[in-house]
Amino acid sequence: MLNRTADSVARATPEPLARKVRGISDKGLAWLFISPTILLLLAINIFPLFWAIYLSFTNYRANRPNEVVRNVGLANYKRILGDQDIWIAMQTTAHFVFWTILLQTLIGFTLAWLIDRKFRGHAFWTTIILVPMMLSPAVVGNFWRFLYEPQIGLFAYAISFVTGIPATQIGMLSNVSLAPWSIVIVDTWMWTPYVMLICLAGLRSIPEYIYEAAEVDRASNWRQFWSITLPMALPFIMLAVLFRGIENFKMFDMVNLLTGGGPGSTTEVASITLKRQAFESWRTGYSSAFAIILFVAVFGLANIYVKALNKVKQR
Amino acid sequence: MADVHIKGVSKAFGEHVAVDTLDLHVADGEFVVLLGPTGAGKTTTLRLIAGLERPDTGSIHIGGRDATMLSPAERDTAFVFQQYSLYPHLSVYDNLAFPLRSPARRLSEDAVRRRVEDVAKMVRIHHKLNNRSTKLSGGEMQRVAIGRALVRKPSIYLMDEPLSSLDAKLRAELRLELKRIQAELGATMLYVTHDQIEAMTMADRIGILADGVLVQIGTPRTIYSEPANLHVAARLGQPAINLLPTGLLPDGDMPAGTKTIGARTEHLSIGKASNGHADGVVDWVEHLGDQNHLHVTVGTKKLVTLTDPDTQLEKGDKVIIRYRAPLFFDQAGNRIANR
Repeated sequence: MLNRTADSVARATPEPLARKVRGISDKGLAWLFISPTILLLLAINIFPLFWAIYLSFTNYRANRPNEVVRNVGLANYKRILGDQDIWIAMQTTAHFVFWTILLQTLIGFTLAWLIDRKFRGHAFWTTIILVPMMLSPAVVGNFWRFLYEPQIGLFAYAISFVTGIPATQIGMLSNVSLAPWSIVIVDTWMWTPYVMLICLAGLRSIPEYIYEAAEVDRASNWRQFWSITLPMALPFIMLAVLFRGIENFKMFDMVNLLTGGGPGSTTEVASITLKRQAFESWRTGYSSAFAIILFVAVFGLANIYVKALNKVKQR
Repeated sequence: MADVHIKGVSKAFGEHVAVDTLDLHVADGEFVVLLGPTGAGKTTTLRLIAGLERPDTGSIHIGGRDATMLSPAERDTAFVFQQYSLYPHLSVYDNLAFPLRSPARRLSEDAVRRRVEDVAKMVRIHHKLNNRSTKLSGGEMQRVAIGRALVRKPSIYLMDEPLSSLDAKLRAELRLELKRIQAELGATMLYVTHDQIEAMTMADRIGILADGVLVQIGTPRTIYSEPANLHVAARLGQPAINLLPTGLLPDGDMPAGTKTIGARTEHLSIGKASNGHADGVVDWVEHLGDQNHLHVTVGTKKLVTLTDPDTQLEKGDKVIIRYRAPLFFDQAGNRIANR
């Protein structure tokens, strides 16, 4: 009876397909299923990476495809590492990363700590705080440009209302000393909620009875914060810093939309330099070398950092 | 050390009444064990004394001082939680030193070291003082947690099932240790458990809690041999007491109003039936090594009692069963005192 059912099922399967499928081993089938993903990854991630590595050793220019491509060895790398402008761009990037992370971590952790008090309506406020993060960077960049407008912008108006300085003198995006901060402010506004979310997860993971034990042990709120809350949330804070650090090291969209690297080159972070070299000067080989240097730098720093993070987690 | 006096304390969580007008006095240096099933209000009672919960009504006096509205820090109690509530990022030493480093104490680091080392020896963890607290086994973690309570000299030690997450061997070991330490320190201790052996072996007095009510409190001997009602009787004894209706076996001399007869092993004499008459049939002999559990069917009822390891009784044997001064309970389940 059972045999007959199996037979009829086998007979119902179209003959050519059945024969084809039967010949494949489990491992072969697994490869078959993941091959589309692997092909896609190879095509849009791995191949361009190796292509860029190749180009970084040449004098190739993408706007002159017919010119003979010459192998120039390490010349591109030598020129980049000796280029004053590149180092200034790297410095600008470092400043930018430092300040955004500092502000986002401080504000994000404080907000998470407040939300974790579980006051009335904390869920509502969490949602409100998360809104900036959900917007598209293009939208955020554009409307902050309006907010920063000296004549019609709300930001300049509010600052002048508080300080008494005429709004027309508050050129957030055109003033050499204010422009870097205008970007730091927008990035902080947009990504602090992200840091807050991760910190909140960390705070929520601390069991209530540890606090109760500390309370019975006569630890003040201050001491509970320093000896329980902070050390136990630290791996989460460090993780948030890592994510934001990598992200801001290659920051491009917001800077490009708000200042485009200006005024002058005061907000020219590495990625803006890269874009100028690659798509304005069309020095494809040179900018490929720069991209590789940036990649190695981020990769190396992130690895060192992850080692430190693991150490903290294992305590 | 100090005594603790709880008067008419109630605590409800929403609709659920966890503790119902509880009166309890723990004398200075006394070891009181609260015994009851899950949800009887044992933990809530401890938390009320520690100040982790506020009572709805009633008062709590610690060392003669009204502590009802004081914060946990002001009460000076020490609490051992059921979970290993260690500070995970600190070493064993720092965990033990944590309560001593409270600014309220102002102990020199030298004094802290001496105290921590003393206690570490007492709970036998001194060889692991520099380990991370997360790198310990369950038994070691709980010993650190107990040690952290012991480093202080609080008015009372509160222990919430501290041994329940340990394996049987370790539990037996720590049970003895705790009793020894308590006696050594002359500590006032309120200990919560659902394990009758812990209660019987450690307590000066046992309090039986059921549904937030303190049903009976007394020495282990009293609780065991003179239980106030069926509930208390059923909580103690291994195997559990046999509760039989009257008339099942020859009742003998029985006080008026008896509805149920409670018979533990020592209340029963069992012998092989010889002259054709029998009260029950042996169902099964459960060999536990040092002793045997004897399962007997009497009419429609089943009896379980202890018997010698070298018993001659076997499955299917007919037996004669007689009471030997058993416990008598009335219609409402309360015990009727003999004579």
